[in-house]
Amino acid sequence: MSEIHEKHHAKRATGIGDPQCFKGEAGKAKFKVGSKVRVRDLPDVFYTRCQLYTRGAIATVTELVYESPPPEDEAWDNVDRSEWFYSLVFRQKDLWPEYPDAYANDTVETELPEFWLEPA
Amino acid sequence: MTERNRQKPAKDAPYPDLITNERFRECMRTPHDVGGEDDVPMQWEEKEEEVWEHNTFVTCEVLAWRGVWNAEERRRRQNVDLGNSNYLAIPYYGRWLLTAARILVDKQHVTLTELIEKMDEVKKRYE
Amino acid sequence: MAEKHKPAPMVDEVSEFEVLEIAVRELAIEKGLFSAEDHRRWTEYMHTLGPLPAARLVAKAWLDPEFKKLAVKDGVKASLDVDIDWIGSMPTNFGTPSDYCNLRVMEDTPKLKHVVVCTLCSCYPRPILGQSPEWYRTPNYRRRIVRWPRQVLSEFGLQLPEDVEIRVVDSNQKSRFIVLPVRPEGTEGWTEDQLAEIVTRDCLIGVAVPKPGQTSNDPRPVHPAKNPYKH
Repeated sequence: MSEIHEKHHAKRATGIGDPQCFKGEAGKAKFKVGSKVRVRDLPDVFYTRCQLYTRGAIATVTELVYESPPPEDEAWDNVDRSEWFYSLVFRQKDLWPEYPDAYANDTVETELPEFWLEPA
Repeated sequence: MTERNRQKPAKDAPYPDLITNERFRECMRTPHDVGGEDDVPMQWEEKEEEVWEHNTFVTCEVLAWRGVWNAEERRRRQNVDLGNSNYLAIPYYGRWLLTAARILVDKQHVTLTELIEKMDEVKKRYE
Repeated sequence: MAEKHKPAPMVDEVSEFEVLEIAVRELAIEKGLFSAEDHRRWTEYMHTLGPLPAARLVAKAWLDPEFKKLAVKDGVKASLDVDIDWIGSMPTNFGTPSDYCNLRVMEDTPKLKHVVVCTLCSCYPRPILGQSPEWYRTPNYRRRIVRWPRQVLSEFGLQLPEDVEIRVVDSNQKSRFIVLPVRPEGTEGWTEDQLAEIVTRDCLIGVAVPKPGQTSNDPRPVHPAKNPYKH
């Protein structure tokens, strides 16, 4: 039991929490609150938590939420490299072209790691 | 905008030249990514929990507590690796359960023959 | 005819899910991956969970503007005031593996209404809200709320004016979310306990808003379990 536990990042989160245990590992953030970003339309291979509906769409950064390995790496227990995670707000009309004009203020908020984003 | 409604291929195991890049992308789309797909209104319901559902959730959390996997590995296996048809065909905690079984075999904590024999033994207790 | 030939439901037969669950749990214990005691302790921890702490957090925020600021800025720290320690409350001492430790409290205003979904699975802030409802886990809710939020909310009985921005929060990574609704009229002078009573689970997900006199979720059909777990 101990051998498994030793290898696992749960150990380093003990008493600290996850994602708190990755704090300070991502380096300088590329974007700041208010930055306009575009979600990259990267290939879908095996796993992602970047929703298809966000791809290619422009969003505004509302918060730098935490640092963590991206899920695409952590899903194979690879936690060697952390990134900043951003909270992003999209206008519904930018996601779904048929979204009614009457509700043009409606939005979606979701979080993505830095590698999915480029300056808009 | 990417097309969000899955299409069935025209032919099973089609010839490579029948697969457009767009079609390839459809095939590679992860089953859990359902946001924005068409659907019709349904009756919203609550549900009682089965004993096995509760136990499955606890088993999965305890496996992570003891370092057998992390939650992202679990999410990948139960929401994507399971494949499209089982993703939609199996109940929520059924997917958790299959994933817990699979991790024991994949990480070689048990052999598949051990699991098969164990299931048979458990079944016989109820005969 | 069809009715007559339908096999009777085999209520007493053990299901394949039950067989597999027992097999996996027993094998994991036999191989020393975890102990029966670990499993029992986690079950005990599950018994402590429910929506009340989140409701209390909202009631406190309504009564204390300073606490509201803290809740919106640092949900994990604010949770301590309702006796939820996202890192230390559970047996692991590193949080619950599937819920992580980054609670975000989304503050509604008269012009902004939040509603939470996880389009990719069913991420949910269990440590402060308990187990998620069945409808929240359905592909149907996950497919539609992010694109047709006004229609889905109206199915839950919530119709919002044009000039209110609906913000769908898609809980797709390590943060977990609760909604801090607007305090309703008719609650002036109420105590924290009185206020907490009207903050139902559905209000905390965002598919309902608190109303004086309503202390439970809207009634819905309940799908029964064959072998129900007694909490």
